[in-house]
Amino acid sequence: MKPRLLWLQAITCNGNTHSFLNHPDLFSILSHFEIVHHPALEGSYSMEDVIKGSVPCDVLILEGSFIEEGFLKGGVEVSKLIKTYANKAKHIISAGTCATFGGIFKQKDPDKISGFCFDLEEKTSRYDSYASKLISLPGCPMHPKWMSYVLLMIANNKVIDIDNLHRPVELYGYTVHTGCTRNEYFEWKIDTKNFGLKEGCLFYEQGCQGPYTRGSCNKILWNDVSSKTRSGTPCFGCTEPTFPQASLYTTKTNMGIPAKMPLGIPRRAYLTLTGVTKSFKIKRFTERLMDYDK
Amino acid sequence: MKELHIKQLIEKIEGEAELDFTFNEGKIEDVKINFGFYRGIEEILQGKDARDALVITPRVCGICNHAHLLTAVRAIENGYENAGQKIELTSKAKDIREFTLACELIQNHIKWLYMTLLPQIESYLDCKSEENYAIKASYLASTITKALAIFAGQWPHSSYAVPGGVTCDPTYVDVMQAQSLVAECIKFFEQVVTELPLDAYLNIDLCADLHNIGGDFGKLLHLIGSSGMTEIGKSHDRFIVFGECILSKSGKSIGTKVSNVNTKYVKESEQVGTVAKAVTYKDRLYEVGPMARGMVAKRTIVKNLHKRYKDSLLTRVFARVHEVATLLAYSKNLLSNLNLEEDSCTLDMHTVLKDFEGTGVVEAARGSLIHKTKVKDGLIVNYEIITPTQWNLSHGEKDEKGIAIEAMKGSKNIEEATFIFRTFDVCSVCTTQ
Repeated sequence: MKPRLLWLQAITCNGNTHSFLNHPDLFSILSHFEIVHHPALEGSYSMEDVIKGSVPCDVLILEGSFIEEGFLKGGVEVSKLIKTYANKAKHIISAGTCATFGGIFKQKDPDKISGFCFDLEEKTSRYDSYASKLISLPGCPMHPKWMSYVLLMIANNKVIDIDNLHRPVELYGYTVHTGCTRNEYFEWKIDTKNFGLKEGCLFYEQGCQGPYTRGSCNKILWNDVSSKTRSGTPCFGCTEPTFPQASLYTTKTNMGIPAKMPLGIPRRAYLTLTGVTKSFKIKRFTERLMDYDK
Repeated sequence: MKELHIKQLIEKIEGEAELDFTFNEGKIEDVKINFGFYRGIEEILQGKDARDALVITPRVCGICNHAHLLTAVRAIENGYENAGQKIELTSKAKDIREFTLACELIQNHIKWLYMTLLPQIESYLDCKSEENYAIKASYLASTITKALAIFAGQWPHSSYAVPGGVTCDPTYVDVMQAQSLVAECIKFFEQVVTELPLDAYLNIDLCADLHNIGGDFGKLLHLIGSSGMTEIGKSHDRFIVFGECILSKSGKSIGTKVSNVNTKYVKESEQVGTVAKAVTYKDRLYEVGPMARGMVAKRTIVKNLHKRYKDSLLTRVFARVHEVATLLAYSKNLLSNLNLEEDSCTLDMHTVLKDFEGTGVVEAARGSLIHKTKVKDGLIVNYEIITPTQWNLSHGEKDEKGIAIEAMKGSKNIEEATFIFRTFDVCSVCTTQ
């Protein structure tokens, strides 16, 4: 029998639902499962059945931030529905930053709204009950191929290696910086001169959080073609428990140096390297990329 | 006969809604539309940097996030202009924004056709086919959003539009790839959606020629026609458009008389029993969306359908799918004329205004989307978002029912009424931001 898949929404924008619908192999992935209910795709049970609590569920996908009281569907608290199915499920996947850490919607009522098993980085009271079957897929939204990776690992009975926040290390072991097409400019500490230019790194002025944000956006490309930083938009750290931080298009600095260091890099190491690179003037990085050698 | 109340949970409308029907003499007399959860995006924005709205507001909605981004950037640009900072977008930046927005509308309309309308009408008329409509929706939607992402980095939730332009700096490598993706979508539209060449489809002006439309759209039109649904779903026959785009100029159309509009007459108000706010223009209700755009733009086929069937379900459904064709032709054109020599962004990144008030308007998939931002010392002190679905789903007043409610009124059964409801392409999350 195929594992039965239930996609349940709490406080959400449906961004993860639509992100996943963009998967180029959507139906081959879903063919490993029986969809019992999904917010957009046809399933074998209606929402009313889901609300009754009687629907079978092996894999539970949660989308949206969690609140214990005050959000009802068909007269039933959504929190109760989530727990009912989380108890039944063999695997729980928190899809997106909202379901994982609280995300944007947490900011409406920070004391009451959180992720299902994490509140920012802290474990919630529910964590202990569900930790053994929890996979976190933060991202606003999560990448469709991150979800398909987890679903296919489950379908193939493979163990998913995870970190302390239950994120699969094969997806989140990278930073968003990995694979960014602007890496040369980062190496030589050349900042971009404005928005709308393919030249220059976005880390120094425009607020890019790629070097310290976990995620494989520049390895597994968005919509198979691009990423924020490749199209000149800074990374806003949307996979992180802290998302969204303030002043997203501006880099916070200390004495002209980015306040937050690339993941795992000691400040002293960063400063030493910066001192060296900045002592050279590399002609190729002072002009338009495609004008060099013309 | 006694009044009868029936509650029905409607799902797969970008969330859920609860419809509370009142029947009198066997006919629907009134409907209360209740949505779930108020997420408070406008409040979340207060105290944030003005430009953070470009990241936060797309998260209002997973299916029309790009429209929110473009409305948010227009609100800031309008605010900058009001404060004396000239903003002149290059035609390149304008065209790229137009292109990516068109892609999002196409994505939306196709999902609505294949994931909402076709399955719902088949189940209502009890003629369920074995078709996997969702695979068609997913194929076309993922292909066109791939073209969008070439410029915007990703879909959903891009933030590539910034005051003064766009962040991308495309080359012809990008343009060629996008052109080929649009061509693929046009091929799909021709072979699967309508079984007509795009040009031939766009030349259809008369109701009498609608039978030439084949494919899945032809099937839908046939199902509507043969089940006697062409005359149902009529509302107040008043339409409004605030955004300026290829689909329509701004204006309002009452019956068929078109006149000018100004966003200053738009009023939002609280409603009892729901977290969704009502919207009116000079205290009157108006329908927004593709049919409104078709009427205000006086698009020949929409006008001809309206002449015969008024603002019925048929005209409403037709107008939405028809936009796909218009937008595909437009997208192709935008890409072939894109001038890559121009700047992507004309405003210096260090030019950041601290005090301003601005309004942005965009024609989103479901109709006019309005953002208003008020900024002091660089921080947002007030942000207002008025979404298309708020117009169509307002409850209305005693003497006049809301647009969608009026359309459902008089129906004899809930299945028919909920189908009428879905022809508005209802979005639960946008209604309760």
